[in-house]
Amino acid sequence: MSSAEADGPAAEQAPAPGWRFLVSRRWLGWHLAMVVSVGGMLALGWWQFRRAEEGNALSWAYTFEWPIFAVFAVVFWAKTIRDEFSPPDATATLARAELAVGARLPGPAGRDHDQEADQAEPEDEDLAAYNAYLARLQEQVKDHGRWHGLR
Amino acid sequence: MDAAVRRYRVMAYITGTVLIVLCFVGIPLQVAAGNDVVVNDVGTLHGILYIIYLITAYLLARRLRLSIGPTILMLAAGTIPVLTFVVERWVTRKYINPARQGQQAGQAAPTARTG
Repeated sequence: MSSAEADGPAAEQAPAPGWRFLVSRRWLGWHLAMVVSVGGMLALGWWQFRRAEEGNALSWAYTFEWPIFAVFAVVFWAKTIRDEFSPPDATATLARAELAVGARLPGPAGRDHDQEADQAEPEDEDLAAYNAYLARLQEQVKDHGRWHGLR
Repeated sequence: MDAAVRRYRVMAYITGTVLIVLCFVGIPLQVAAGNDVVVNDVGTLHGILYIIYLITAYLLARRLRLSIGPTILMLAAGTIPVLTFVVERWVTRKYINPARQGQQAGQAAPTARTG
């Protein structure tokens, strides 16, 4: 249950979303926007280069800046896609871990419930049992984040 | 995450301030008085700062797992006067604060390196 363990094999076993999102209509739009904007930035860089050659000093800065922006666009695009491929490991692992804790809960019910139900309103045993269940759930999950290096 | 937020915020404020100087001091001076000194110097400065702003904003956007629309808005905010500050407030209210609350509740991701 240590975070190192959870990050390792569990993250690899997690089902990858696959590459199909890349051809979704939404992403095709983003690809197109990326290509157009990169082309536009390179064109602007070229335009600034021409202006710089004509003697506009400020244009020298923009001559280098536009190609840098174009590179950023490609890098950000690639990194975003790479992030989409690999599931958000930390949150996914944590969510699975909490599910595992919850999944064990309904098993050993009974004993504690009855005790608390007696002390509370006896006319609604179900409600008391449910409240006890919630309380225990809270108790078990309370310090859970610490296992993962959270507070 | 706090370090990423701090870097983004610092760059947002600096870039936003320089851009306001450029647009509301430099350009009027250039247009009205024909003086390009402010535009040239501050313009170049904003260009360099905006490159750094882009990096910090993008890294924070990835850390917050923003979708592409808000990410692009964050990146573009550094080029539009005043919008830099508006977007910084908006991102804080809509994404950073909820992420922090989630972290306190033990729900959010540990601050693993994203890059």
